[in-house]
Amino acid sequence: MTNVLRSAARIPPAYIVFVILLATLWLTKPQLMNANVMGIFVRQVAPLGILVLGQLLVMRVRSIDLSGAGVLLLVNYMIASGLLGDLPLPLILLVSLGIGCLVGLFNGYLVAKRRVSAVIATLAVTVIIGGFVQFVASGKPPGNMPELMNDIYKMKWGPVPLPVVLWVALTAVMAVFLSRFVYGQFVMAVGENPTASHFSGVPVERTVLMAHVIAGLFAGIAAIVQSAAVAVGSLRLGLEMPIDAVAATILGGVIFGRGDGGVWGPFFGVMCFALLFVSMTSFGVPEPGKQIARGLIILLAAIFYGLNTRKT
Amino acid sequence: MLPAVTFKGVTKHFGPTLAVNDISFEIRPGRVHALMGENGAGKSTLMKILAGVHQPDAGKIAIAGRQVCFANPSQALAAGVSTVFQELSLLPNLSITENMFLGKEIMGRFGSPHRAEMAQRTKEALSELGMSLDPNTLVSELSIAQRQFVEIAHGIKADAQVFILDEPTAALNAADVQVLNARIEKLKAKGKAIVYISHRMDEIFAICDDVTIMKDGAHVATQSLSDLTPERLITLMVGRELNDLFPDRARDLGPVRLSCQDLRLTPEASPLSFDLHSGEILGLAGLEGQGQSEIVRSMIGQYAANSGKVRIGSQTVLLPVTASAGVRNMQQLSLGFVPEDRKEEGLLLGAAIRENIGIGLQSARPGFKPLAKVADVTRRIMADLNIKAGSSTTPVGTLSGGNQQKVLLGRYLASDMDILIIEEPTRGVDIGAKVEIYRLLRELAQRGMAILVLSRETVELIGLCDRLLVVHDRKIVSELAGAEASEHNILNAALTS
Repeated sequence: MTNVLRSAARIPPAYIVFVILLATLWLTKPQLMNANVMGIFVRQVAPLGILVLGQLLVMRVRSIDLSGAGVLLLVNYMIASGLLGDLPLPLILLVSLGIGCLVGLFNGYLVAKRRVSAVIATLAVTVIIGGFVQFVASGKPPGNMPELMNDIYKMKWGPVPLPVVLWVALTAVMAVFLSRFVYGQFVMAVGENPTASHFSGVPVERTVLMAHVIAGLFAGIAAIVQSAAVAVGSLRLGLEMPIDAVAATILGGVIFGRGDGGVWGPFFGVMCFALLFVSMTSFGVPEPGKQIARGLIILLAAIFYGLNTRKT
Repeated sequence: MLPAVTFKGVTKHFGPTLAVNDISFEIRPGRVHALMGENGAGKSTLMKILAGVHQPDAGKIAIAGRQVCFANPSQALAAGVSTVFQELSLLPNLSITENMFLGKEIMGRFGSPHRAEMAQRTKEALSELGMSLDPNTLVSELSIAQRQFVEIAHGIKADAQVFILDEPTAALNAADVQVLNARIEKLKAKGKAIVYISHRMDEIFAICDDVTIMKDGAHVATQSLSDLTPERLITLMVGRELNDLFPDRARDLGPVRLSCQDLRLTPEASPLSFDLHSGEILGLAGLEGQGQSEIVRSMIGQYAANSGKVRIGSQTVLLPVTASAGVRNMQQLSLGFVPEDRKEEGLLLGAAIRENIGIGLQSARPGFKPLAKVADVTRRIMADLNIKAGSSTTPVGTLSGGNQQKVLLGRYLASDMDILIIEEPTRGVDIGAKVEIYRLLRELAQRGMAILVLSRETVELIGLCDRLLVVHDRKIVSELAGAEASEHNILNAALTS
């Protein structure tokens, strides 16, 4: 029995869950199986999908990043509140990406150089940013997003929403970067064994630091897409997103130090979230029910993680 | 008297590979039985069958005349077979006591573990091996030799009839081996049967009574050791004579490649200096733990020396160097460092051969550049070094010790280094692979490489090196030409300094 479970554990469960959910939908609600409906739901998880690209990178170098929520909050507030005055939109977006990178750099410094626990450090960063945003906002709700952003968000390329195009493109870029470039080998080596990597000349600290900076950058991009989606600024945006990102990454077969699922495993991990929302909505499950289902997916990821670590 | 263990026609396949082929022999009680053969000869597999880790495809095993069939290691242990395996299997984040009693904790009243009792018994088991460690010490704080002793204590504290010691001395020095041997003698006097696997010839002849020789999974011979000479034993194992083990020495030396000047390991230590020439193999000899490892590790920042400098070509590196940049700086100066602990410090066990060989080349490049092409160089190195594996994508962790060591050396060949520092070039490697590695190192030296070697095996240093520096108490106390060195005059130089 355990043997069956273990050999099943080699395939990232994201694929299995994805097929099951898709089949269920196909059989029960065939009318939902059209590009327009699915596009809307997949668009919903595009920010999560982009955040996951960073998460899978830091998890492969045996770290974790829970500061995505902080970046989301800060970028969202900054754009909505007009904190930067009359800067043109492209510049505002550039600043957003810069914020992501800076947060990532700070995380990376703490984790790689100071050897601080990644969970605690990145969670603390989120708490600090949250407090900072509360302080600056001083209770006032932020204003609206620039309309242009929401317009772009709603654009399509053929039947595919633009945010989904962006997500798939970034995933493809990441896949090529990790498999064809030296940095990808560094990530593989550090995940496999940091000590042996150091002895073979891999710049271990720099690899971990860069992973956090790139994760910060992706958090910045995710924050922009999410902000465009909500149209109105919020002080409670995406607080649960980093945990969803961790769950999707693990479901996708990427576990601390190991990258069996590559980049596309976690991609389908995120797709599972999308299909789950479709099914829930179409079956009329209310918000609390969706919450419970989300929790179950995270739990499934945790069980899979346990199975996989016992194997080694 | 009934034999302690009887193997009859035991056979085991792993996929298409025949690991153990129709093995039959007996192990008698009150005897130490050596199991000899090259790595991959099937010794470890046979012992894992006896220990219940693997189940045989065919054949029978009897313990004290009673036929047994173990489904798992705990059944074997219950039947009186206790094992000390070659791989260190201790959990680093637990204390010695917790490791010793893992899964069989002694419970006190109220169902909670009886810590004092377990600590006491651990202490006793350790002191039988002459160790005075605090049983609450975390395993991660122990040296490799200490861990090995804990592993041994763990294996032989069980009240068993048959003890399997699979390379128990791979990480031990001569004094430690004496302590272990005394313990084995005691077990023997109590009528226990001991199976002893080791690649060290002197140990086999010092401690063992009988020997079984295996080759390619098959049984070659079982006989009393008193009828054998070391030469004869090696011939049986590999079909080669002992004096063929080492290649010829260097005829003439090239220019100085690396010059270590006024190195002080500690503020109190007197400075030491030495030169390493192109074309030579230089060895650091002496009793274990006298600073040999610190000397070489200080060059890559793994040991913080007090002061000193290393000259390589026109470059001067001031010591101490930082730990984070040490290895990379030296690689830029074309110096490769091959660490001793190939599983922890050397190889990426889960990664492919190609990635393990290639990682040295990749790490010389900036991260944003495309990957260096390593397929051709990997193929060439696998052929040159005779690395036996399914393909270049085989994970290194599945290879035998000898092939793993060759992959590790291959990484530095791929990077085309001028200078190699090698700790324990043949640790845990069988005789066949040792010969190949000696020959390889000599070939590299002949091509102009400068090689510095550390080894616990003095015989290896004497046979391999052109010059030996005897290190004692963090000083170089003597220099000997390899051709004139002997175990006697190395010890003499160390102890009369």
